[in-house]
Amino acid sequence: MLTWIDERLGLAAWARAGLRKVFPDHWSFLLGEVALFCLVVLVLTGVFLTLFYVPDATSVTYSGPWAPLRGQSVSAAFDSVMRLSFEVRAGLVMRQIHHWAALVFVAAIVVHLLRIFFTGAFRRPREINWLVGIGLLLLALTMGITGYSLPDDLLSGTGLRVIYSVVIAIPFIGPYLAFLVFGGEFPTPEIISRLFVFHVMLLPALLIGGVLVHLAILVRQKHSQYAVPGATEENVVGRAFWPSQVFKSTGLAILTAAVLALMGGLIQINPIWAYGPFDATTVSSPAQPDWYAGWLDGALRLFPPIEITALGITIPSPFIPGVLLPGVAFGVMTLWPFLEAWVTGDHAEHQLLDGPREKPLRTAFGVAGLLVFVILTLAGGNDVVALVFGVPVEAMTNILRVAIVAVPLLGFGLTYRICRELFDRREAPGQRRASVRLRRTAAGGFEEIEPD
Amino acid sequence: MNASRGVALALAVSIAGSLALVVIYVVGGSIQQQGIGLALALGGMGTAIVIWAVALIEAPIEIEERHSFATGREHAVVVDSGTGTQEISRRRFLARLLAGAVGILGAALVLPAFSLGPQPGTDLFRTAWRRGLRLVDLGNRPIRLDDLVADSVTTVFPEGFVGRPDSQTLLIKVSPSDLALPSDRAAWAPEGCVAYSKVCTHAGCPVGLYRAKEHLLLCPCHQSTFDVLRGATPIFGPAARPLPQLPMEVDADGYLVALGDFPEPIGPGFWDMTHTPADGG
Amino acid sequence: MTGPMPRLRLLALVLLAAGAVGALLPGAMAKANHSASLREASHSSLASDSDVNAGHAVFNARCATCHGDAGQGTALGPSLVGVGGAGADFELRTGRMPFSGSPGTQAVRKPPAFDDATIRNLVAYVASLGTGPPIPEPRVDTAAVSAGQHLFIANCAPCHGATARGGAVGGGALAPPLDVATPVQVAEAMLIGPGEMPVFSSLSETDRNAVVSYVAYLQTQPDPGGVSIGGIGPVPEGFVGWVLGLGLILVVVLVVGRDWRGSRA
Repeated sequence: MLTWIDERLGLAAWARAGLRKVFPDHWSFLLGEVALFCLVVLVLTGVFLTLFYVPDATSVTYSGPWAPLRGQSVSAAFDSVMRLSFEVRAGLVMRQIHHWAALVFVAAIVVHLLRIFFTGAFRRPREINWLVGIGLLLLALTMGITGYSLPDDLLSGTGLRVIYSVVIAIPFIGPYLAFLVFGGEFPTPEIISRLFVFHVMLLPALLIGGVLVHLAILVRQKHSQYAVPGATEENVVGRAFWPSQVFKSTGLAILTAAVLALMGGLIQINPIWAYGPFDATTVSSPAQPDWYAGWLDGALRLFPPIEITALGITIPSPFIPGVLLPGVAFGVMTLWPFLEAWVTGDHAEHQLLDGPREKPLRTAFGVAGLLVFVILTLAGGNDVVALVFGVPVEAMTNILRVAIVAVPLLGFGLTYRICRELFDRREAPGQRRASVRLRRTAAGGFEEIEPD
Repeated sequence: MNASRGVALALAVSIAGSLALVVIYVVGGSIQQQGIGLALALGGMGTAIVIWAVALIEAPIEIEERHSFATGREHAVVVDSGTGTQEISRRRFLARLLAGAVGILGAALVLPAFSLGPQPGTDLFRTAWRRGLRLVDLGNRPIRLDDLVADSVTTVFPEGFVGRPDSQTLLIKVSPSDLALPSDRAAWAPEGCVAYSKVCTHAGCPVGLYRAKEHLLLCPCHQSTFDVLRGATPIFGPAARPLPQLPMEVDADGYLVALGDFPEPIGPGFWDMTHTPADGG
Repeated sequence: MTGPMPRLRLLALVLLAAGAVGALLPGAMAKANHSASLREASHSSLASDSDVNAGHAVFNARCATCHGDAGQGTALGPSLVGVGGAGADFELRTGRMPFSGSPGTQAVRKPPAFDDATIRNLVAYVASLGTGPPIPEPRVDTAAVSAGQHLFIANCAPCHGATARGGAVGGGALAPPLDVATPVQVAEAMLIGPGEMPVFSSLSETDRNAVVSYVAYLQTQPDPGGVSIGGIGPVPEGFVGWVLGLGLILVVVLVVGRDWRGSRA
């Protein structure tokens, strides 16, 4: 069969070379693959969901088996997700696997990004792939937000309201832009079908295309590697793609799907029947987006009530935490390879990876940035965190306002010191700092023996 | 030996899981059964392949050479037009004109994007509230002042506009002696009944929580807290502006009636919100 | 439920129950009407003086320190004039009163301090202090669950949550979960607005019955999607996604990525 194909496409030599390619073998190189396999699960379950979902905000009367909503006026979109959940066999499990996969997908991307960052894999010649990767992260975030807004339920609709308000807050173009995106003043009937187009067509095309570019560059440039014995800047030490790596990756892919299937079947997620259809005149509490957008919500919660009006121009308070902060954050992340190369003066190619402790400054910045992200994410759930710790919400908010400044600074300093300490010790392993030698005197005290 | 048996066992689990899935689907099993069946089918398969990969496959370490793409590059080929300087400058001018034309064409091609939505106009400045419109609840029943009970909160709308999101309003009754409104707004709150826009001035969520004893409204999205007794001034959280107060009075039949629209734009801020809108009203 | 057998069993049970109810209902209704009228009567001048006096005695011993000898209120506790039987009944049956927390903190549900008879006496006494709402008699009606859901989301969910799991409402106050609240207690709370809760005077008795019915439904309805991990939305979901989801997958990654055959130099 393969011969039949080869006689027509002449791929044999190319395939043989590809299968013989050597890839370094380390568990931390599998993190990107986990994200990829989550994406596969998302696409497969997503196609199923798309065959049942109705992207229409027109009102219909719910007449399905879920008694508390029977007879109520809901959007056709909400109704279709209810029908999928309760009247389509395997519908709810597919929905739940899809949503769990989305949460784990972004988590895997973040962990993969951290590995790339802390090992300096973004350095020349891999700056392009870093840019592609940041783009993929942005696409993943947007896919998630558009996706969970499709059921048009009370919780996600509240989130759309917040997004609309943040866009409105952009000076000069805000209201125009928001009215263009939403099709008018919130809430609009158009937004659901537009989100659908993005979530099912435009963004997946960019995402899948981006993933293919990401992988193609990786294959072309060959994978980077840790400085294991035998590894140099001019070689790749590892194992052949076929059969070892293929089997490992395939096994990982299927087991990733198994974990997501288990969660989708056993653990309830996004119970839209409990939230009910979106109603712009009411809200449920607590109100959060999915975890990967929590940092944005947290920034909105922590930012003080500063609204400036000067010369007839108002800068509304959501602008800085909702637009400027993410802009700066992603800007710094995007430009990091170039910033680091410029600051360190290191424009050489690197195929060997750093251990985090070998680059204390980069690691310290990374830890500080990660702490900012973690604290903002926690802040996104500050009312729930306050409840868990039995602290008033206001106190929790103020604690986090202090923490968002203090903890990353502390983290920076601590990380730097620890890295230096560990690195210095490794650089000169035999040379421990001299211990003090003591001698007991006849009188009963101790005195130091002077080193020779 | 052990590894082979492990692979076989895992595959057996996988086959059992897949067969179980068929039964579960046909019979109409619970979601837990679906998830566990699928997890066994996939988990068994994945475990089998992983055991095979790590224990049964001979995978020696190999070394492959790398080549940087940065070395050994030929000099860039210079485009040689082979003509005099006049030709070159004409070409350069044409190239720039082309670039400019492409840019302007690109901008023109974006024009249909402006069909996606209307201009904001006065939409952000106005709600449906007008002078003379009675306050009605979610069931479209007009509100009588005497029916209101202290410590109560009711979501109200202008009559004829029940459910209209920008006009959602909170009607709260407090003890008149507790109210501390600015002097020009005290008349808007007959007998301790005061009405505020329900749309949070921070990011637009409905301000749905009311702490009756403390007379504080809380928005659940970002915890902006508004003092009902003092004109819904924000006392905590990221909201920087009070909730606009609805001017109202009692009509001859005892029903609550609006005196006009809110005095300032409701909800989250926007860059020109301090301007008087085009229709001057 | 899977398969026909459990469904048949359920159907048989329902028919049996319906039969039993049909047989006993007229008698039960008569009795209920009788006791209802008795209860109603106890809040009018027909409340036996001995009940009121007995209640007064307990009140002086256990409540007057904070609420005053005539329930007029002191610096330590609010006035009880006009809270009605509903107010007293709610606070006493949910154990919120007598208050045993730190001053200024919220009263929380705990086992009632008094037995049923004592509570009834106290309720009679407090009801006599002014004119307030009597103890309501809500009807749990499965047909009203949909109307109740709509009202619950509009009025109750902002504080108690769409799934009635409760939540923080700021200022150290908590809207409690409604998992153990009885229909009477739910109805009373809407009438009196205990603690920081507002008074929902705009709700008619039909509305209140609908809300009560929905809360009762929430208490008994299992979660269709599996384990509910808190039922408060994306915060626990994100936590579980990271710890359980990515955690399990990372275990797999470490196993797959390990050098099992030791061929590394």
